[in-house]
Amino acid sequence: MLSLIVFLPILAGLVILAVPSSQKQIIRIVSLLAALAQGVLAVLIWRAYDPSLPGITASPGGSPLGSFQFVEKLPWISLKLGGFGSLNIEYFLGVDGISVTMVILTALVSAIGVLSSWTIQKQVKGYFILYNLLASAMMGCFVALDFFLFYVFWELMLLPMYFLIGIWGGPNREYAAIKFFLYTLFGSVFMLLVMIGLYFSVIDPVTGNHTFSLVAMANQANYIKSAILGPDNVMWRYVAFSVLFVGFAIKVPMFPFHTWLPDAHVEAPTPISVILAGVLLKLGTYGMMRINFPLFPEVFHASMYVIGIFGAINIIYGAFCALAQQDLKKMVAYSSISHMGYVLLGLAAGNSEGMVGALYQMFNHGTITAMLFLLVGVIYDRAHTRQIDKFGGLSSYMPVYAAIVTVAWFASLGLPGLSGFISEAFVFVGAFSSVTTRYIAMVSVLGIVFGAAYLLWSLQRMFLGKRKPDAAYDLEVGADGHEHIHFHDWKGKIDLDARELTMLVPLVVITIFLGIYPMPILGMITTSVNRLVEVLTPLAIR
Amino acid sequence: MHSLIQLSIVVLLLPLLSFVILIFFNRRLPRRGDFIGVGILGTAFAISAYIFWSVIVQTYDPAFRVAWDFTWIDLGKVPGIGPLQIKMGIVIDNLTAIMLAMVTLISLLVHLYSTGYMAGDKNYGRYFAFLGIFTFSMLGIVLSDNLFSIYIFWELVGLSSYLLIGFFFEKDSAADAQKKAFLANRVGDIGMWLGILILYSQFHTFSFEQIYANLAAGKFAMSNAWLTAAGLLLFMGCVGKSAQFPLHIWLPDAMEGPTPVSALIHAATMVAAGVYFVARIFVLLTPDALHVIAFIGAFTAFMAATIAITQNDIKRVLAYSTVSQLGYMVLGLGVGAYSAALFHLVTHAFFKACLFLGSGAIIHAMHHEQDMRWMGGLRKHMPWTFATFTLATLALAGLPLTSGFMSKDAILAGAIGFANVEGGGVYYLIPALGFFSAMLTAFYMGRQIWLVFFGESRTHLKPADNHHHGHDAHSAHGAHDDHHGAHEVHEVSWNMRAPLVILAVLSVFIVYSPNPLDGAEGWFMKMIRTPATVVGPANHNCAALPAQTTSPLMAEALPAVETHVATDAHAVSEVEHAAAKGEHAFADPRQAEIAHAAHAAHFPAIYISSIMVVLGISFAGIVFVFRIIDPDKTAEAIRPLYLFSLNKWYWDEIYQATFIKGSVLLSKILSWFDTNVIDGIVNGVAVLVRNLAFANNSFDKYVVDGLVNFTAFSVNTTGAVLRKLQTGKVQTYVALLLVVLFGYFVFYFTRLIY
Repeated sequence: MLSLIVFLPILAGLVILAVPSSQKQIIRIVSLLAALAQGVLAVLIWRAYDPSLPGITASPGGSPLGSFQFVEKLPWISLKLGGFGSLNIEYFLGVDGISVTMVILTALVSAIGVLSSWTIQKQVKGYFILYNLLASAMMGCFVALDFFLFYVFWELMLLPMYFLIGIWGGPNREYAAIKFFLYTLFGSVFMLLVMIGLYFSVIDPVTGNHTFSLVAMANQANYIKSAILGPDNVMWRYVAFSVLFVGFAIKVPMFPFHTWLPDAHVEAPTPISVILAGVLLKLGTYGMMRINFPLFPEVFHASMYVIGIFGAINIIYGAFCALAQQDLKKMVAYSSISHMGYVLLGLAAGNSEGMVGALYQMFNHGTITAMLFLLVGVIYDRAHTRQIDKFGGLSSYMPVYAAIVTVAWFASLGLPGLSGFISEAFVFVGAFSSVTTRYIAMVSVLGIVFGAAYLLWSLQRMFLGKRKPDAAYDLEVGADGHEHIHFHDWKGKIDLDARELTMLVPLVVITIFLGIYPMPILGMITTSVNRLVEVLTPLAIR
Repeated sequence: MHSLIQLSIVVLLLPLLSFVILIFFNRRLPRRGDFIGVGILGTAFAISAYIFWSVIVQTYDPAFRVAWDFTWIDLGKVPGIGPLQIKMGIVIDNLTAIMLAMVTLISLLVHLYSTGYMAGDKNYGRYFAFLGIFTFSMLGIVLSDNLFSIYIFWELVGLSSYLLIGFFFEKDSAADAQKKAFLANRVGDIGMWLGILILYSQFHTFSFEQIYANLAAGKFAMSNAWLTAAGLLLFMGCVGKSAQFPLHIWLPDAMEGPTPVSALIHAATMVAAGVYFVARIFVLLTPDALHVIAFIGAFTAFMAATIAITQNDIKRVLAYSTVSQLGYMVLGLGVGAYSAALFHLVTHAFFKACLFLGSGAIIHAMHHEQDMRWMGGLRKHMPWTFATFTLATLALAGLPLTSGFMSKDAILAGAIGFANVEGGGVYYLIPALGFFSAMLTAFYMGRQIWLVFFGESRTHLKPADNHHHGHDAHSAHGAHDDHHGAHEVHEVSWNMRAPLVILAVLSVFIVYSPNPLDGAEGWFMKMIRTPATVVGPANHNCAALPAQTTSPLMAEALPAVETHVATDAHAVSEVEHAAAKGEHAFADPRQAEIAHAAHAAHFPAIYISSIMVVLGISFAGIVFVFRIIDPDKTAEAIRPLYLFSLNKWYWDEIYQATFIKGSVLLSKILSWFDTNVIDGIVNGVAVLVRNLAFANNSFDKYVVDGLVNFTAFSVNTTGAVLRKLQTGKVQTYVALLLVVLFGYFVFYFTRLIY
């Protein structure tokens, strides 16, 4: 099941390889079918998932494999290395409450990304091959339970992303692509070192060999006491935690490692922005929840305060930077930074409320930000500009677009009744309940006001009032006596067309539904998060 | 599930249904579906009226309460806490029943009125949809049994007011006003949210009942200062919604919304939500928190009243009067006059809605003229509007026989009683500000009545350049603007008149109490009792006897206490006495003392406030009717003060210069920092690495590669030399071999010798 959902897009990519590049429609349809099949599988996984099993790591008295579901475990690479012993890498997939939500999110956003890629005209074949490779790699990251396998998928993501931004991006695409690539690579180099260190510090309780299994690594009983990252080696454990954290924080992206994100977003084509904000950023915080924190729980416990401060900086700094932006897409990019700060803050709380909030925020930010970037793409397609001041009064002329923008904008500013509110609320509830992060939470609530400020201000400048004199569109009085909007060289429908609605309406529905009744997602994650919190809490406090 | 709960759920969901139908299908329905909105609200009101009937009239029990909840979010077995669930629920008590009936009634009347007022607007259907979601959110606040859901509906009210205030979104002023309202409310909301977080972090529940039970049991583990802070932070929500100083700035601007909307959200519901919420959390407010609340309320009442006296826009006067009256309610809660404050909430809702709808009728009839300077003489043309508007004005001013008189006096009596009990001189500021504001209220309302309804029409006096000054951008009526003077002013149609009459009737004393001088004898104040505090008098010194003070107000109040005791002439204990009068007996001595002192101050309050009202009205008469004092010359004489009032104490300018400019500046600075410093470092590192790479390249080229080449060169040279030896002749090789052998022997023998 999991192998299928991971490798379906790559299969589709292989099929596309065989299709002549002139057959653009076939290429698109193959990709869409793969994405839809992935979606169906995700729904099946969602239905079959048993929310009472915690996962994370071996429970006391339980199987050493932990209570993961849909597990696939095969020996993959086994090398005898003489004096070093043997190198055992496994093909080990499985999901628990933390990853299953991300699997659903990835399938959803990938499918919407394919639809959004429909308008790509340049080198369609190459584009979709890379896109499918990216989709596979992302999915693989979320289901891999072997650190080495995770690392392979993690690095595999970089390549297509680099080309997708670097070839199909905007004017300054090469700078953005290389910046993204180098930044992420920088993080992953350290990850590689820590991974190797961990391998030699952890013993698989079943085979007695060293192992890359994250399930074994998350259980402190499996560490060799005197090994490089064993419990005795306090300093190296701190170092390893920190460099891993930086590696993941770059992906989040956390201040001060965030500047690649606005550049990447501004240059990336709409579907890639959707994928980037919708899924890729979550890999950073997912990596923290899956690898960084449970493998070094005592270091995490000592660092909660610092992580919380960085979360607060992200929230407020991101909001202020967003307030200053003239480019709508850049504003949304900074809003992503601000909203991922909530995830960091929730994680830093270290309690169930905060972690549930953080994980739920990852899901909701995925859907809401996907919506935001799609909406930015809609207006950019028509007007060929994203300058906020080049619009004005759009509500009168594009009512459906304006309505969906309003929903998305309010979802982003955390309006109750929409999904983002619940996750932000839980983040704050958790962060405030934890004595460590209480004062950080009190400062971070300012983000609620400034978040509303930049979103409402942009909403007003673009959609309310009247057309600005130097707007990027003209008004014409139609046959019915009403004013109509006219974009230069835009032949399509002025308001949202069927394809755009197909992408946006499901996201709107999900956002509203999960804002009113969050249990379909929350129900799957709570058991695992509670277990994770147990794992993270040092014995002395537990 | 109690049947009343089921009914209340229906009431709650009906307006939401109206919203959903109208937002999606209004263009496909005849009349854009306005009948659906009116019909649904009519049904909701009918059910609410039934709830009101069965709770207030049939049950008639001050302690009536039914509740129901369900698990909304289940967090499972949380480490350190155990099973944790977030529940949502509904509670119906007397207050809820009254608020339900009030909200649905006013919403129904506003719906009905809007069918006339908004007729012909291009977004007519959407307007009714927005009214629906607004009513839904408001009912949600009223019915909530926990802080979390109240916060949800609280923000939804913020959203719906955003939509309604900015209904004429093509006007920049409307778009500004809606943004301002939402943001000011959000500032209040974050305070409220922090207050909720403080309570949650202690008890892991949002439910009012459980929080109060835990507080009463003394389980609040943080210091008392945190408890006071929690109360004040929760109160910040009220400061935002109920437009108290310092967040009052949004309400007057919100007059950009359609006028019926002002009646709904700025008179009856949204602004009332803040006061309602403080009433819900009243029991957890510590005395310190209550003092702050009382002062903020008194200051707001006073400040807004001073602004209202100079405003020229008919709706602005009402807006500031709303702020001022909300100040009274907050003051009332702060001084512990709980039932009086809520009483004023309800009476104010009706007469202020009447005033707003009346002003809407005037604006409608005057073709969107809102400036009172160009009105005048309307009583002849609009007798119904005149009559109802005047009645509501009297209620607002607080003249006897009106509802406003009873409720305001109850608050002021509470304020006197509070000041007496607290015993400090500074506490007399609260009743003093209250009475002074009462005079101002009478003055500005008198001014409004005279300017609008009496004298001769001044439409022709309006300067032409002043033309586009703040009128509703009504697309259907926009065309009429150019010849407003030429139109005859007519009374409005029945669907706008009927709400006025109903609301005016609800401003008469008899609806609430048989005794026009004492609201406490009416059903309202009997059904709404001050709840006993759960935080106790721990940090409050109740021993300070009121008799020890010698301030002038005290001197007035003390004989009243004596008379009161003397007339009753019963040798009963205080508690029994209170019980006999149908009053609540308090376990908390401070509350009991204040309630008693307030009761004693009832008649002094009536005397003072009546004098104040008469003073205010006669002063308005002197200025605007008999013109003994010329208002323009007076304004000129006290110009700085006049400007201070006209410009609303310059709060907008102050906020603009500090918070708004500051935020924008900070955002620019941080954005610059981001592109130039943070990204500069990143790019700098990249350049550094690249230069390093170039240096490395040179090293590689000249040193590493040089070494390699040198090696190759030396091998080559050696090879060239050695090649000379490779002659292929055996003789040469043998000769070489002999040379080597000879050399070896020489070496060997040398070693042997030494």
